[in-house]
Amino acid sequence: MSSYAVDSFCRRIVHDPELRRTLHESPEEALRAARPALTEDEIRLLLAGDVGPLSRAGANSFLLHQLGRFELFGLDLPSYAERIRVEWREERSRGLLSSRPHR
Amino acid sequence: MAEVVGGFGVPHNPHFPTWVEQGAPLAGEITRMYNEVERRLRAAAPDTIVFVTSDHYNTFWEILPIFTVAVADSAAGACDYPTIAPRELSIDRRLAAAVQDHLVRSDFDVGRLQELALDHTVVVPMAFLAPDRDVPLVPVFVNGFLRPFPSARRCHALGRAIRDAVESFPEPRRVAVVATGSFSLEIGGPRISEDSHTGVPDPGWVERVVELLRAGEIAQLVDETTDDRLERAGNAGGELLDWLVMLGTIDAAPAVHVDVQPQFGHAYASWPCRGSSA
Repeated sequence: MSSYAVDSFCRRIVHDPELRRTLHESPEEALRAARPALTEDEIRLLLAGDVGPLSRAGANSFLLHQLGRFELFGLDLPSYAERIRVEWREERSRGLLSSRPHR
Repeated sequence: MAEVVGGFGVPHNPHFPTWVEQGAPLAGEITRMYNEVERRLRAAAPDTIVFVTSDHYNTFWEILPIFTVAVADSAAGACDYPTIAPRELSIDRRLAAAVQDHLVRSDFDVGRLQELALDHTVVVPMAFLAPDRDVPLVPVFVNGFLRPFPSARRCHALGRAIRDAVESFPEPRRVAVVATGSFSLEIGGPRISEDSHTGVPDPGWVERVVELLRAGEIAQLVDETTDDRLERAGNAGGELLDWLVMLGTIDAAPAVHVDVQPQFGHAYASWPCRGSSA
């Protein structure tokens, strides 16, 4: 899995409104057209909004969260955040990853 | 001929302009804290603002320089947040070019960016600090997002060299230096809080940074800002390096005020220089 391709794709989402429109209408087509090319695993995970394994594999968190911000692949920011928490639950429960409450 | 008239530090949360506009619960606090800096910045009467920030993968991606100065006539933004009122800001091309030239001649291998769009890290602070006037900028970019980062010592030294560049500029300029960024912040990563897609992974570090800023112990802050400490501060924790550049442009002194929003891991602070009326 090449996290650079995922990172590049997520970055492009921020700056390309046409890509965001295409992703809402034909997400798989848009993902297959991405350059650098995404792997089959990455396409599958992105289509499912399965950001946990992408985060685990080393995708850039700041860029990955743009999927939630722009409500792509069935995500929004709360569901994006929850999937990240679930993925990293063990490390978080052991106190290896913690954060003060936001509000 | 030219002089640094003050150093200032502020956050750049992309939601703050909307929250203030809509009267959100934090609107009053955000406005009050920005206004405290804005008042002192205005009193310093700068002709130009050297603006130190860390690009959030908007300007740089395929190539990620460690330090960059933008040398152009103007730039518009915010390119990453269409919800923020768009604005075109002037760039002080002559001073920007002189700063980059001086830095390179001083052995800082600083790149020149000749065309750019501004992201929220510049447009948000400027919306609060100079909402109705165009103070030309010298944008300085520090890589605080994707490792390897420059060291704290190198960033502070860069600030010293920027000050030298300003003071050797032959035209009259009152130059304020504004840095922006959090001291501890995680955005979208494993260390987010239980109630948000962001979080403050190292609140103790925020308290320590603020303590040192209040005491004016800048050399100590540089010493304590290790790569490991920045790693623990979250994926936006490297933004503290922007503050260290700014602090290098002024004499070490206690900030005249520091306001903290611990829930965001950031602060607002001012260091008007002696002789400035701020």
